[in-house]
Amino acid sequence: MNNALIIGQYVPGNSFIHRLDPRTKITVVFFFVIVVFFANNVPTYSLLTAFSLLCVLNSKVPLQFILKGLLPVWFLIIFTFILHLIITNEGNVVVDWGFFKIYSGGIIQGFAISLRFFLLILTTSLLTLTTTPIEITDAMEEMLHPLKKIKFPVHELALMMSISLRFIPTLMQETDKISRAQAARGVDFRTGPVKDRIMAVIPLLVPLFVSAFKRAEDLAMAMEARGYQGGEGRSKLRELHVGTKDILILIAFVLMLAALFVLRQ
Amino acid sequence: MEIQFKDVSYIYQENSPFAHKALEDISFTVEAGSFVAVIGHTGSGKSTLIQHLNGLSLPSRGEITIGDFLLSSEGKPKNIRDLRRKVGVVFQYPEHQLFEETVAKDIAFGPKNFDVEQEEIDRRIERLLPAVGLPAEILERSPFDLSGGQKRRVAIAGVLAMAPEVLVLDEPTAGLDPRGQREIMDMFYQLHQERQLTTVLVTHSMEDALAYADKVIILNGGKKYMEGPPLEVFKQTDKLQEVQLDTPEVIHFLNQYNERFGTSLNYQHQTLQELANEIKGQLEVESDE
Repeated sequence: MNNALIIGQYVPGNSFIHRLDPRTKITVVFFFVIVVFFANNVPTYSLLTAFSLLCVLNSKVPLQFILKGLLPVWFLIIFTFILHLIITNEGNVVVDWGFFKIYSGGIIQGFAISLRFFLLILTTSLLTLTTTPIEITDAMEEMLHPLKKIKFPVHELALMMSISLRFIPTLMQETDKISRAQAARGVDFRTGPVKDRIMAVIPLLVPLFVSAFKRAEDLAMAMEARGYQGGEGRSKLRELHVGTKDILILIAFVLMLAALFVLRQ
Repeated sequence: MEIQFKDVSYIYQENSPFAHKALEDISFTVEAGSFVAVIGHTGSGKSTLIQHLNGLSLPSRGEITIGDFLLSSEGKPKNIRDLRRKVGVVFQYPEHQLFEETVAKDIAFGPKNFDVEQEEIDRRIERLLPAVGLPAEILERSPFDLSGGQKRRVAIAGVLAMAPEVLVLDEPTAGLDPRGQREIMDMFYQLHQERQLTTVLVTHSMEDALAYADKVIILNGGKKYMEGPPLEVFKQTDKLQEVQLDTPEVIHFLNQYNERFGTSLNYQHQTLQELANEIKGQLEVESDE
């Protein structure tokens, strides 16, 4: 299993954030992502940082876990910082090595952009960390509903999404199992010449495809046997509904937006 | 080869919210040439234990010795390939690992990886086919065209073709019909005796454990719950019931029968049918007197 990247992983919990309607969360994250680009001074950045940190704290997902999980992204953040440090030439000169100057504007700019980047990733990963994939697809289906008017196959799309999400862990497990079985038969996936390692993928991929197709067939058969026929008139097992807490968080979010635009220069 | 577990613990995804202790302070010994059954419910740590037997997983704490190989948290031994060759693992639903174009190629895959000569492989296949109950015509067919039972036999042959000294079986009869189950288990037992293999069988069939094992290890929640010869373990009905495990039917019947009629019949690997005949014989003798 790949522990390095946590975006897309779900951490079960029962916090306020976990229990929010997924549509609320998607909406808030959507607007947050846009609004991050409007921040342009210390108060506005602090406001946004405080908001997202509060959400993280509330979700009870250990901050340490999130930070560690974002490790691959840290590289990008630091890279952005350094890039701005080098190419910006506004403000006072802070470091002067003759051919190479760092301006105060560069430091500020670099810091602001990195923070922006960090907040973006933090909030979007918090969304997937606290919302099950099924909830996300359900919410997407609901939110895309108006597109039905122009004959856009919303339900089918959502179904495809949930099926593929549903089978990611299954396929990962399967991969794990098959690679173990082949490793027991002497396949070495990790060492040896590159050519051998590429060839070692065949004994893994063939059985994986065979089982994926078989699964697809079984699933189609099972759905057909139960008379599945898509969108129209189908009720839901999990009804989404907007509750008090959703309205609360939306109001809080709108207030924060208002404050942001007041504080903004 | 002798297998020794010393205070072995294994933790999945250590230092994450998903950390989970799969094995906890497990110690036991499997003597060379013996047949050991590991029993436990789903989630008791059976499958994790198996992965430690050929170095697919390394213990988080503790040590495992398998013959001359030492596995510890410190990393894989250099000669891990030798270990993998000597320990053949038949995973659950082994037919899922088939991938070659022909049965012959698939069986040869394992030994080929361990640099066995093609001639030697052919010789091994020739000897193996009757042992696993497959006809020779099958060799040139695609493994995907075979029936479920045949696929499983091909996959098992693929592991046996590596000529392992230790055979690890993870519920090898799951999903087979009763007759297939018996045939496969008899086949393994015969191989175990003929080749003096050290066999570790993971199962939840008490009947299989009773019929074939020299020693039974019962796992519960990642810990060793009981260990001993099958008869002694299965005598402790109450202790087994505490972890929702049943005693084998024959033993259960025998215990109740002895209790009720004050007899002292012993278990000597009879089937229920044989036991019934035995009792019938005794009763006839008694009524004649």
